Amino acid sequence: MGVLLAGVVALNVAVLRLNIQSDQLTEERAQLRAESAELSSQLALRAASARTSSLARRQLGLQPAATTRYLDLRPR
Amino acid sequence: MSARLSNRRIRLLLVFFALAFLAAFGRAVWLQAVHAQGLDRLARGQHQSTIDLPAARGSILDRNGVELAIGKQAITVYANPRHVADPRATAIAAGRVLRIDADRLYTKLADRSRGFVYLARKADPKRAEALRSLELTGIGFYPEERRVYPQGTVASHVLGFAGLDNRGLAGLELALDRRLTGRSGRRTVVRDPFGRTLKVLSLEPAVEGHNVRLTLDNTLQANAESVLLRTVRRWGAKAATAVVLDPKTGDILAMAAQPGFDANRFPRTSRDVQRNRAVTDTYEPGSTLKVVTVAGALSEGLVTPSTQFSLAPTIQVADRVIHEAHRDSTERMSVAQILSRSSNVGTITLAEQLGRERLERWIARFGFGRKTGIDYPGEISGILPSYWSGSTIGTLPIGHGIAVTPMQMASAYAAVANGGVWHQPRLVASRPTKSRRVVSSRVADQLMAMLEDVVIEGTGQEAEVEGYQVAGKTGTAAKPDPSGGYSSSRYVASFVGVVPASTPRLVVLVTVDEPRGAIWGGVVAAPAFQEIARFALQYLEIPPDGSPS
Repeated sequence: MGVLLAGVVALNVAVLRLNIQSDQLTEERAQLRAESAELSSQLALRAASARTSSLARRQLGLQPAATTRYLDLRPR
Repeated sequence: MSARLSNRRIRLLLVFFALAFLAAFGRAVWLQAVHAQGLDRLARGQHQSTIDLPAARGSILDRNGVELAIGKQAITVYANPRHVADPRATAIAAGRVLRIDADRLYTKLADRSRGFVYLARKADPKRAEALRSLELTGIGFYPEERRVYPQGTVASHVLGFAGLDNRGLAGLELALDRRLTGRSGRRTVVRDPFGRTLKVLSLEPAVEGHNVRLTLDNTLQANAESVLLRTVRRWGAKAATAVVLDPKTGDILAMAAQPGFDANRFPRTSRDVQRNRAVTDTYEPGSTLKVVTVAGALSEGLVTPSTQFSLAPTIQVADRVIHEAHRDSTERMSVAQILSRSSNVGTITLAEQLGRERLERWIARFGFGRKTGIDYPGEISGILPSYWSGSTIGTLPIGHGIAVTPMQMASAYAAVANGGVWHQPRLVASRPTKSRRVVSSRVADQLMAMLEDVVIEGTGQEAEVEGYQVAGKTGTAAKPDPSGGYSSSRYVASFVGVVPASTPRLVVLVTVDEPRGAIWGGVVAAPAFQEIARFALQYLEIPPDGSPS
């Protein structure tokens, strides 16, 4: 009887610990999601082609490439 | 004596215990029966809490997976004025950290008749965190998602925007709202006095919104917008629109409009600027509509591309005399030349042979007068003449007295470019589309050959792209005057072209509203077409005509 009682108490303590751990993990997950969204947003902002071409023009003095020339190589 | 006294004391004690027990029993009944519900609610409120699990709104991506609209975490700051001890000091501190006018905050915080007031909706998380560290009483925080458009002005007309509550209010944000919006979840937990979770009583997980991939390419879109901006500035125009379409699938690669706006600042943008003109606005197409009359005449077997006509510089239609725009003497022209040299008299001659009923049928067959069915809200059908006067057979074939959307015109030319098969245009990549044959592949080929001549020797020479054959048509139409008739100073210039003409990959349409200094489609819109097409050909690595693919 004593062993059974001790087992029930141990089980409840374990459940309690797991609940606390689960709560912490949920919070951590929410935090990581927020950080991921923030990083995605920064990445999208930095990868925007309009921004890239504007920076290339202003900071590096680059110009749009001239028309691509295709060479038609035919085997003899 | 002492025994009697002792019995009396015992009886008194008994009575005392009986009364005490009765009082305890009565109190127990009072608490557990009469007040049970209220106390239970109070207890649950102290150790149980239900937490909303917000569902993230799905992202909108371009065809390459680049994010055009995303959710970003923000913190909403609120207050319970009844718990705020010193409203003035709190307002000053919160105002300084959140960069909000402290007087405005004070008005809210001093109003003790309310238990909840917003101090800042969706504030910057860093500022909210700084405020939290001040540990001001009566101030609370909760996380919310804020809609962000990382590319700013790029595709803003197409994307639309979502409001403060993260529901779509315009554009694709509105059209795709159900797919983008997830379903919030709930979690009910029992907490200890330190706020730690002891037990999860129920859990309904949040269902995240779906991401949506578009057919748009953000690079082509950004380029089209910058070309339009330069065009509008160069010609002092009121507005401009461009559509880039894949004729084989109906995929819209770019749909640009100027003036533009930043979707992140939509509340400060006028409604007029927010419109996606490519689908919500109509214009009189002018000569770009001539392709319909020529297609009808060829398909009905009335003429061939080489059929010759002797054409005077003017033609009388009922009470009207319609002039040629580019010549003043009688000339012999083939049907092919009528289209390539954009002859008004020649097109009207063909329309007269076709007759009213067949012309109407061909206009409808090319999709004018009805919605294309594009997956964008607010598309309009355009306007067909509700009443045919004697001169309508003279004005309609040359694109007057009819109003079309840029999207309708682009998809009509896409049908010609695609061997005569029309595809419903689409913006969402996964959406199944309808298709139908408009003209035979033989007639489509004949039309393409004629449209090539427009750029080689006709009115569209400014649209030429080095190394590629371009097929296209210019359009110039006077705008209707509010006081009746047509304006003599306000025009819409347009160009719609197909490239490479031998194996069409792109249809590009440009319209310029009210240009100044020049009005002709070949002068104002064709150079913009050339810039957009040249960039797209290079970017998509499309080899020139005749190259082995």
